[in-house]
Amino acid sequence: MFRKIAAAALVVGLALPGVSQAAKVKIGFINTITGAEAPIGENLTNGVTMAIEDLKKKGIEVDLTKEDDTGKPEKSLAAFEKLATRDNVAGVVGPYTSACSSAVASQADKYKVPILIPAAAKEEITRKGYKYVFRLNAPADVYSSVLMDAVQTIDKPKTIAYIYESTDFGTSTVKTAKEYAKKLGIQEVADEKYQKGAPDFRSTLSKIKSKNPDLVFMVSYVVDAITLMRQSKEIGLTPKAFLGGGAGFTTAQFLAQKEISNLVMSSTQWTDDVNWPGAADFAKRYTAKYKKEPTYHAACAYEAMMIMAETASKNGGDRDKTRNALKSGQWNGIMGEVKFADYAGFTNQNNHPMLVQQVQGARYETIYPPKFATKKPVYPFKWK
Amino acid sequence: MTFSVLMQSIISGILVGGVYALIGIGLTIIFGVMRVINFAHGDIMMVGMYMTYFLFTLFGIDPFLSVLITMPLMFLFGALLQKVFINRILGTLPQNQILLTIGLGLIMSNTAMLAFTSDYKILTTSYSSSSFNIAGISISEPLLISFLITAAITVGLYWFLLKTDTGQAIRATAQDREAAQLMGINVKWMSILSFGIGSAMAGTAGALISPTYYIFPQVGSAFTLKAFVITVLGGMGSIVGATLGGIIIGLVESVAAVTISSDWKDVVVFSIFLLVLLVKPSGLMGKSRM
Amino acid sequence: MIPTNPLHSQRGASAVQVSLGMAVIAALFAFPQFVESPYVLHMMILFFLSTLMGQSWNIIGGYTGQYSVGHAAYFGTGAYSTMILLTTKEIAPWYGMWVGIAASVVLALIIGSICFRLRGPYFVLASIAVAEIVRGTALNLTDLTKGAEGILLTDMPAFKIGQTVITDFSSKVPYYYIALVLALMIIAVTWLVQNSKLGYYFQAIREDQDAAHSLGINLTFWKNSALVISAAFTSLAGSFYAIFVKFIDPSTVLPLDLSVQIVLISIIGGIGTIFGPVIGSLVLVPLSEALRSNAIAQGLINSGLVSEESGIGIFLKEHLAHAHVLIYGILVVVVILFMPDGVLGYFRKMTAKKKRGEA
Repeated sequence: MFRKIAAAALVVGLALPGVSQAAKVKIGFINTITGAEAPIGENLTNGVTMAIEDLKKKGIEVDLTKEDDTGKPEKSLAAFEKLATRDNVAGVVGPYTSACSSAVASQADKYKVPILIPAAAKEEITRKGYKYVFRLNAPADVYSSVLMDAVQTIDKPKTIAYIYESTDFGTSTVKTAKEYAKKLGIQEVADEKYQKGAPDFRSTLSKIKSKNPDLVFMVSYVVDAITLMRQSKEIGLTPKAFLGGGAGFTTAQFLAQKEISNLVMSSTQWTDDVNWPGAADFAKRYTAKYKKEPTYHAACAYEAMMIMAETASKNGGDRDKTRNALKSGQWNGIMGEVKFADYAGFTNQNNHPMLVQQVQGARYETIYPPKFATKKPVYPFKWK
Repeated sequence: MTFSVLMQSIISGILVGGVYALIGIGLTIIFGVMRVINFAHGDIMMVGMYMTYFLFTLFGIDPFLSVLITMPLMFLFGALLQKVFINRILGTLPQNQILLTIGLGLIMSNTAMLAFTSDYKILTTSYSSSSFNIAGISISEPLLISFLITAAITVGLYWFLLKTDTGQAIRATAQDREAAQLMGINVKWMSILSFGIGSAMAGTAGALISPTYYIFPQVGSAFTLKAFVITVLGGMGSIVGATLGGIIIGLVESVAAVTISSDWKDVVVFSIFLLVLLVKPSGLMGKSRM
Repeated sequence: MIPTNPLHSQRGASAVQVSLGMAVIAALFAFPQFVESPYVLHMMILFFLSTLMGQSWNIIGGYTGQYSVGHAAYFGTGAYSTMILLTTKEIAPWYGMWVGIAASVVLALIIGSICFRLRGPYFVLASIAVAEIVRGTALNLTDLTKGAEGILLTDMPAFKIGQTVITDFSSKVPYYYIALVLALMIIAVTWLVQNSKLGYYFQAIREDQDAAHSLGINLTFWKNSALVISAAFTSLAGSFYAIFVKFIDPSTVLPLDLSVQIVLISIIGGIGTIFGPVIGSLVLVPLSEALRSNAIAQGLINSGLVSEESGIGIFLKEHLAHAHVLIYGILVVVVILFMPDGVLGYFRKMTAKKKRGEA
């Protein structure tokens, strides 16, 4: 009890002078709850729900308005305008998808509402110089570069094959991967796009197999990762390393497929064994609450909500002050050190270090960068 | 491209085409008897997939064995849909029939989402990624088994339609609804039967694809579209046509991915679809209904 | 067969109806002077856009009876033409949209010459196939369309006449007026079609193609005419969407979902009538927004009917937003089963019954 009062007093102390009690801080959260992107959206909802509970423990009462954009940009815009003008929120966390974020970001400066994008990867979003748009996660280019950097520390591979989904995420990740591979002098031997959700990749994979690449770089946002790896095993595609860019290779379901997931390397925004403050604890509590392991989306959404709500609360819900505080602030939480910086053409972009993890003994182990690594990489790849 | 790559893509194309065929057969029966384009076909398949998943995870029943349970249950499910909803609007405007099935599909997929969340469910069997080798070409075991089951079901269904009284009554209804009614065939009952059979086929296809694929509430829509292509290709209402159509689409997808490029695969499939509609709208086997 | 709707025979509108219509139009034009909320304006714009899309489809689907489930192709063509010209050649959208219309008309003529040989369900499937081919092409012609990455618009040029800036598009108001004018325009066009020889031919084709043919009506020519009008306005809707939302990609402007949605607007309202798509939009736009933003659950709680802390309250808050497509689906099924002529047709019938009862 005493602690609660103390915490409340602290918040009051931080709030504007003259405000006699800690008012609830109004935050909006735009997410994709229904529609095709809903399976991933659910992770974000869970992360935010946990953040609200944790904020309450810290004495910050959040008046959260959740908005479903169904994955459609025009609905996302409607949601954002509702939050900005009718609900008068201090800030917005979201939207989730790149398409929706692109549409909403273009309006943030007009309404002068700070938005913090937790997980959308499209590079352009923070390359347009918007003042009120912040992004926590690393953009698409890092997904591929970090993986190749990890391999470079062990070997000098000569050839690479790409197989990726024909979505924004897939194409833009591979586009940057190709530029980076060229720089490293790795030769491209195959470039294969596929329609998300296709049930049969066998012919494409055997074509890749006939080229005998050192590296196979795959991008699958969802569970196509499992289909891809199952069929790779089936036809006996065995490169020196399987590199998985993105979400499909970082899920608990993928991990559970022990026969095919072993030794696959994947890039991720977050792992549960990284030594960022609270990461392991978050994973434990999340698993207990939702009966499944958190994805990096959940962690990103959690941290984004923590940062936004704390900052907005400290600034009495004032949008401009919140924006300035986001710009100048620094945090250190489950996503590691966070700072919204301007660099390499980006504005208000957290230069988030992505991690490379490898499945070893039915666990995801962080193998790169060295300062966050828990295990040494196993190379070259072989089937279990 | 080497010979073995081509052979590999032909073999896997044919095997995958077997499952496509089963989806197409379900749709073609429904269309043949009722002239209703069933936009909920993929969603019915989704229901079958969830059924298979829960039979496996809760009771440990092997997906291929569970077909014996899934098929009759899905038959009842389809018959119920027909009796409660679709029979009411037979003979009304065709666009209303289309919309009704769209609405039913939305209800199915979103009820599944509320009940099971939108999480992806993966059904892992001991043989999910096992295969054997013949002359350097790998053949997926689960795919081969499902191909064989599909073949058996197709033959059985064909026998049922040709040799039994009920089967002949269904065919008569498909050929000429009004004449069948005049001959004393209970047309409404035939509609219920055929929607039931169509759903059972879709559900079975769902069960067969489960061990190598994944399950989520919106999984159906991609298969609905594919089913349309297959049925039109084979000739709407023709079972032999749908079987052939399924295998051809499986082959085209697989071979186009290695010869043309995987990007344009879908455009190729739909162009063939359009071409067939134009040149021979009755499909490959259109003349002989069922 | 489509039952003849009372409205078809209604050639001249009464003075009361005309003045009522004028009053509504005047009120809509005055609306932004009184309501500044961008959120409300946004919803109104979506309502006008929905009317535009539904009414465009109505001309080919409702009046001519050709149920195209591929209208996303024209919507996407309009959106992409405008957006590509604007972002790569800096051609303003009010010029670019004409290119979109031209491209859509050409596409419509190609599609028409191919697909109108088919009837009924075959035509439906062909229209889907064409739209999917267009979508696949947009996805793969990355040099032109940027493929799956989509096109993001950052600089919207100001609209000038001479040197005077009429609007720089920084607020919702110019979009509101554009959308309103477009919606009124398509309603006027539909009215003109309905009350001309054109409408007579279209409806004759809808009622019985063979009979129409035997009367000497050139089926292909008139079907194509209807499709061209429909495609041109759907393309305009796409152009407007592109500059309004400022981001397009194949999955937002070319998917099958969108084609289905366009059809639903008309059918729910009542096809083959002038006000059907308006009513359909009036039902669907607010409903989908209320469900999306969970306003219904919130309303029940705020009104005190359901306590926020109670089990039901928590359940509604958590799940009603998830259920919104489900409710949409149920609505479609209910309308089809119980109001086969759409909401408008249903109420017409009800009032007709009442009148008969009184007389």
